[in-house]
Amino acid sequence: MRVRILVLFGLALLELTGPGAAVAQSIHSTIQRVQSRMVKVFGAGGIRRLHAYSTGFLVSPTGHVATVWSHVLDTDELTVVLADGRRISAKVLGAEPQLDLAVLQLKADGLELPAWNLASDSGDAGPGTRVLGFSNMFKVATGDEKVSVLHGVVATKAPLATRRGSFETAYEGTAFIVDAVTNNPGAGGGVLTTRGGRLLGMIGKELRNAETNTWVNYAVPISEIRKPIEEIIAGRYRARQREPEGVDEVARFRPLDFGLVLVPDVLFRTPAFVDRVQPGSAAARAGLQPDDLVLFVNGDLIQSCRVLKQRLGRLEAGGVLKLTVRRGDRLVPAELPVPAKSSTPSGEKSR
Amino acid sequence: MTWSQSMARRIGTMLVVLAVGGAVVHGQAPADLETKEEQAFKAAAVNVAPSVVRIQTVGGLDRVGRTLTGTGATTGLVVSADGFVISSAFNFISKPASVLVTLADGRRFPAKIVANDRARMLTLLKIAADGLSTVSPVPRKNFRVGQWAIALGRTYDSPLPNLSVGILSALDRVWGRAVQTDAKISPANYGGPLVDIQGRVIGVLVPLSQRQSGQTAGVEWYDSGIGFAIPMVDILSTLPRLKTGEDLLPGLMGITLKRGDVYAVAAVIDRVRFNSPAEKSGMKPGDVIASIDGREISRLVQVRNALGNKYAGETIKVVVRRGDKKVDQQIQLVGKLEPYAPAYLGILPRRRLVGDKTVGVTVRGILPESPASQAKLLPGDRVVRVDGTAVADVAGLLDIISRHRIGETVKVQVERREARQTLTATLSGIPPTVPAIIESAIIAAPEPKPANLPGTGRISEDLAGHNHNFWAYVPETYNPAHGYGLVVWIHPGGDTMEADIHDLWKPICEERGLILVGPRAKKVSGWNLGEAGFVEALVQEMQKRYRIDGRRIVLHSYSDGARFGYHLAFRYRSLFRGVAVSSEPLRLSPPENRPELRLQFFLSCGDKDNLFGLVQKSRARLETMKYPVTLTPVAGDGHNYPPVPVIDAMGRWIDLLDRI
Repeated sequence: MRVRILVLFGLALLELTGPGAAVAQSIHSTIQRVQSRMVKVFGAGGIRRLHAYSTGFLVSPTGHVATVWSHVLDTDELTVVLADGRRISAKVLGAEPQLDLAVLQLKADGLELPAWNLASDSGDAGPGTRVLGFSNMFKVATGDEKVSVLHGVVATKAPLATRRGSFETAYEGTAFIVDAVTNNPGAGGGVLTTRGGRLLGMIGKELRNAETNTWVNYAVPISEIRKPIEEIIAGRYRARQREPEGVDEVARFRPLDFGLVLVPDVLFRTPAFVDRVQPGSAAARAGLQPDDLVLFVNGDLIQSCRVLKQRLGRLEAGGVLKLTVRRGDRLVPAELPVPAKSSTPSGEKSR
Repeated sequence: MTWSQSMARRIGTMLVVLAVGGAVVHGQAPADLETKEEQAFKAAAVNVAPSVVRIQTVGGLDRVGRTLTGTGATTGLVVSADGFVISSAFNFISKPASVLVTLADGRRFPAKIVANDRARMLTLLKIAADGLSTVSPVPRKNFRVGQWAIALGRTYDSPLPNLSVGILSALDRVWGRAVQTDAKISPANYGGPLVDIQGRVIGVLVPLSQRQSGQTAGVEWYDSGIGFAIPMVDILSTLPRLKTGEDLLPGLMGITLKRGDVYAVAAVIDRVRFNSPAEKSGMKPGDVIASIDGREISRLVQVRNALGNKYAGETIKVVVRRGDKKVDQQIQLVGKLEPYAPAYLGILPRRRLVGDKTVGVTVRGILPESPASQAKLLPGDRVVRVDGTAVADVAGLLDIISRHRIGETVKVQVERREARQTLTATLSGIPPTVPAIIESAIIAAPEPKPANLPGTGRISEDLAGHNHNFWAYVPETYNPAHGYGLVVWIHPGGDTMEADIHDLWKPICEERGLILVGPRAKKVSGWNLGEAGFVEALVQEMQKRYRIDGRRIVLHSYSDGARFGYHLAFRYRSLFRGVAVSSEPLRLSPPENRPELRLQFFLSCGDKDNLFGLVQKSRARLETMKYPVTLTPVAGDGHNYPPVPVIDAMGRWIDLLDRI
């Protein structure tokens, strides 16, 4: 009798607290529930070591699947295998390459599928939160077999691209980085959830961190992709404006425009030491001196002459250039006005 | 607190009870315990976070060995309030021009590298800051395999450290230097702390490897579930020495032990290095190590464990058994030993045919101006004893001579025309020149020709099991009763030079009893270090097919092919005995010269080649390490494959590789 009362109270609590409901749930039922909403996606690839499969998750009972935007979708014969083993053809309804996101529509009528409700099923997490990763990595699951589950914790939630070029990915926003090896071939489009089953993010593609030369395991937060998914389903999505191509080529300003002459750039990573300061220049007025080592430009670390030149190239006319230099054992800040226009003739290459 | 909240809390408490009950039934961790653990992970991270700093470097190399050095942020840990920060040496392998430390509160400081611990692969930094928060270490006695271990780094743009959760997997790993964890350890947290669930520091994360040493050893294990941390208590105990700016080196005694199964065999001293701490303290070959610093030693591996944590400069107490005596020794360890310099008698031993069981070493030739020629040894003499020790065969004589130092005198007993004579020779070093004439020992074709002789002449085929092919030249007169030298031709990038090499080397192969084999790089444009395994397998395949003399396996390469050639020679020490390189300097650091793994070098370069100066430096570098080196300059030549006279000299040099 007493037990039954407790159970009743327990149910009452589940009702009351909403998100807390998930916490009280066992990991076993979480996994069952999540797996029923996952699908396996088969499409183009299979040559030159490109895998022809990925993962997706149902975002509507009528058969909308969110997945990662990749070469796999580049075909007219896209097949989705549901958790119960049903094979259904699908088409790409819409995509947002900048978010590495695509939404598929299953070509079948009258579907009533278990699906995520992005508005009420999502959650958030910080470093240390225990998480589960669901995906069909390495195509281990076939037919009605359920996708694989991994466990780990959120290592951090941080921007993927802290500096241009450090990651070879289209997605540059904040991501969940996890300590489990979630990002494997075919895992893209899988999901990251809390152990209670709150949806946190969509597992991205395999990604190498060019700064540390290691593989990174990450998921794009649902909060970043929820709106595009809903808009694609509603048929009113317009892809974001892409940045112009070749943006890295922009060279609006050069060190000389500020009166700075750097040491000769002979190594791949020649440190950005100041060789000379032109008398009467902005650099001279800001007190810069020969042998100063330029370490930061507007807060970003400058690791070489090359990077400094790129960074100056991208400055906007008329702003302020904030430098931090190392002089002996001190860090010295300096502010230089950015001129309206580069004085050197070929200052602007790309437009 | 409202009624509903307090009610909810009370019900919550009851629910915990219920959940625990459920756990018993279903065998699952109660959800609430999980939540509490999760909170504890976060609390532990927050507790240490103020001492976890971000490290950025500017300038430096983009590549160290085969590892691309990262340019990303790495992690460090504050070890004293006055601005000392410890980090993983891996984070500084690029030898950066400038190091920056960003504290948890966002303040940035330029940092100075104070000292390195080269045994535990740590680097100590100093910044001009004070009043920093420090951490509390976990005492070693509290380490428990299976306890939670949380790895922290500060490599992302986030106010909190990034973390990975695992357990302590093992203690006393890598010769007692580290603890092991299954948390994900990578450049994202090298240099950061491994903390327990209370936020106390177990150790500092570093890449390490049991099999290799060096700056990048162990990095290949990143994120694998095998990670290492140097115990914080050990770091704190060596910190005063590091703070003085002194680099700490692994301590060496200067002995090698008789080889065998390291887990089964007693630690018997095989060699004692000249002028080493062991020699000075009176250790002798044959001594059995009984204990080190009171730790009893009964197997080889225990020696390594006992010494793993000792630094140069420390004094250890070693007890050895000599016969039935026990001898106590105090030994002050050093960081560097004098290199081993091989001694040389100056004879060419006659190579044995299959089935030849003659005892002793018959002299094929006496090298000019050598100790043997001065002692009046003659071709045809059979060396039977040296200093009273019986000589069984070539290996035995080489071993005896290799245990002597240059300048020492040996008594050589020879059999000459049925009579025995004892001659006295004063050993020298191996000379850097190749005599103009070395009488060849041309091998005659077998008579009658045996059935199923392996392929001869020019061969070109795929190596089974490897996605690679090769070519070879085997003299038509191949006679399996004789052992053949093997020349492994490592072609330069862009050109296998197959036809030229075949034509130039064919007569030399016949004259000197050599087989030539040319592995082809997957992409002819150049070798990838990953192809080393294929070359090793190819040499082993040749050894299976033909009778190869293990003392005369040579890597020959020209121009940039030699980068791969040197890599192979240093990686497979037990396979290759000679390196013949034309027109390319040595760009790797050579390993230590070891008596039991003899390696000799033949360099050649045009004296008008831009690289000539560097090739001369390479010779000097190898000589400093006491390797036998010959450098043959080609007068008036630029960057070209050497002409016939130099190849002839190379052939003679290969014929000399088994000299003693």
